Amino acid sequence: MSKQINVALIGNPNTGKTSVFNALTGLNQKVGNYPGITVEKKEGICKLPRGVKAHIIDLPGTYSLNASSLDENVVIELLLNKNDKDYPDLAVVVSDVENLKRNLLLFTQIKDLKIPTILVINMSDRMAYKGISLDIDYLEQELKTKIALISTRKNKGINELKELITHYKELSTEPCLDASSIDESYFENLRKAFPNQLLYKLWLVITQDVNFGKTDRKTYDAVEDFKTKSKTDLKRLQQKETIKRYQFINETLKKGQTIDLNSAKDLRIKLDRILTHKVWGYLIFGAILLTIFQAIYDWSSIPMDFIDSSFASLSEWTKNTLPEGAFTNLLAEGIISGLGGIVIFIPQIAFLFLFISILEESGYMSRVVFLMDRIMRRFGLSGKSVVPLISGTACAIPAIMATRNIESWKERLITILVTPFTTCSARLPVYLIIIALVIPEGRILGLSYQALTLMLLYLIGFGAAVGSAWILNKILKIKSKSFFVVEMPNYKLPLFKNVALTVLEKTKAFVFGAGKIILAISIVLWFLASYGPGDNFNNADTIVTEQYASENLTEDELHQKIESHKLEHSFIGIAGHAIEPAIRPLGYDWKIGIAIVSSFAAREVFVGTLATIYSVGSDEEETIKNRMAGEVNPILGGPLFNFASGISLLLFYAFAMQCMSTLAVVKKETNSWKWPMYQLVIMSGFAYIVALVAYQVLK
Amino acid sequence: MNTIIQNILVFSALGLALLFLVRKYIWSPKKKSTKACGGDDGCGCH
Repeated sequence: MSKQINVALIGNPNTGKTSVFNALTGLNQKVGNYPGITVEKKEGICKLPRGVKAHIIDLPGTYSLNASSLDENVVIELLLNKNDKDYPDLAVVVSDVENLKRNLLLFTQIKDLKIPTILVINMSDRMAYKGISLDIDYLEQELKTKIALISTRKNKGINELKELITHYKELSTEPCLDASSIDESYFENLRKAFPNQLLYKLWLVITQDVNFGKTDRKTYDAVEDFKTKSKTDLKRLQQKETIKRYQFINETLKKGQTIDLNSAKDLRIKLDRILTHKVWGYLIFGAILLTIFQAIYDWSSIPMDFIDSSFASLSEWTKNTLPEGAFTNLLAEGIISGLGGIVIFIPQIAFLFLFISILEESGYMSRVVFLMDRIMRRFGLSGKSVVPLISGTACAIPAIMATRNIESWKERLITILVTPFTTCSARLPVYLIIIALVIPEGRILGLSYQALTLMLLYLIGFGAAVGSAWILNKILKIKSKSFFVVEMPNYKLPLFKNVALTVLEKTKAFVFGAGKIILAISIVLWFLASYGPGDNFNNADTIVTEQYASENLTEDELHQKIESHKLEHSFIGIAGHAIEPAIRPLGYDWKIGIAIVSSFAAREVFVGTLATIYSVGSDEEETIKNRMAGEVNPILGGPLFNFASGISLLLFYAFAMQCMSTLAVVKKETNSWKWPMYQLVIMSGFAYIVALVAYQVLK
Repeated sequence: MNTIIQNILVFSALGLALLFLVRKYIWSPKKKSTKACGGDDGCGCH
């Protein structure tokens, strides 16, 4: 049986590595038309001709082998460590036909490591449109490699690439640049000191700013002693190396590539002029956001109402059909009601991700990143922080992981700390249900008040993130420099398959990720709401019947009084009353208090918790929204969810740090419990104060 | 009989739910990473 080939997919950000990975492996990794999608390596298997198999590793995008961030470090660690089980037999360098010159810098560096290398030129479908023509034979000869001209969008050239991978042993490992030409005497000394080592590999180890983790350190520790040159001298030599490489690339492309500039002047330039304009750019972005939020409301109301009433009917049907007993009640009041509290939001979540995915795929998101960089710099962040902040609208966890491509530790730490302020999809259910209860349905200039409120909450989240970044920038005394280079990809018509996959993946992650937690918490809450200690709970029937003996209550009214009495004296009722003094000044009752406490596991648990608590003991078929609308403030009378308490709740959820998984990721990324604990205490404390002030002012 | 079965099912569901929550948030047995890619925790980020 033949050995499996280890293939590393390497390339500059946004060259379509992940699309090539998906085309080779048949997997469905997320693809985006903006840089920084891959921050960790991903793996898959590719079936090649003649029964050969390749183990494909999709590595984070990097511009060169001079690592300046953690994700780039992943690439270099792998290429320098022959002992790594994933060390590639073959490197496939993916480049973009429109940025070949820049992409070839990385290619020549990898080639000089004497790893068999194939050059993939992707996006070939745009060549004619851009007036680009390539002399592949000449390029192959000069670059001493095989070239695969492919288009993942049009699914062209993939089989040819597979053929080349199969015959990787025939590839030349001759380098593009003689490393010793960088500084002959220095490299001569290096050669004498390490006669059996590859010079260019040694050179990379000497010039890297990062630590090499598990790389075979023993081999390289000796090199430390060889850092005879000062840091400045080494940097100067690194620059000399880059210049030499570009001289070689320019010379090669002079004959190998022709660009007809007349046909290259396309719509992109005109569009960029408007979309990144310092006034129009922001206005257009604002208008796009407004359209998205309005559409989310307009398009999802019908499916949401349908799901809500379906769950109410299912709960009723379960109660009427299954044998009477505790488990039937658990199913009807706990599990079905709790899950209904999450499934109801699928339409809105799906529409939100549909729009985000279209913006990413079309290439517009990179223009947003560019626009935001102007604002971000004033607050101590860079444009690179925008990618995590925008990703944070889906979930803070991958967003925090996406900070790995920020070189400056200070900027990275600030971005990690402020990202949880951005409105993640878990906040959406809470916002939607509270907005529906407390904000009137009217419209202004065709935009509904409810959609405007939702957009305002997103802006508040973003504003809180940027504001706190500014404060942290002043407080944190960490010195570091950074630079920001953003890839401006071409505008593309979003591919239906990619958009559909993203929407499906994100919605699935929302439902199943949160669904398991909600299911478990619903079961526990139902139990705590259906059982209780002492006579007050166990003899509720007798106590309530005696209490209301003089009043002529109907059987239904008496039953409701008994159930209400039981809930008040259940385990959850006792716990809720214990925390009530702390939350009453915010306009909440003990049931909301329980929902807030349980949503520290995950925010979206809030609606499910209330749905479960309100369902316990209720015999009526009722939707979640109607149950919440019918709740009465036990002290003041009137609806519990009124304008003042609703706004207070919205603001509490906008600022509070209520996600244990995010705290765990922050701990992992900062390697300390100090930062997540600061986040928990400061964000939640701030949320409490803002919610308190809002309620006291508005009541 | 029906009551006993229903109570068994309720307490089983409760036990499973508590086990899931404890393993998710409080204590989970450490898995040995098979995908080490550098650094001290196998994720290449330290």
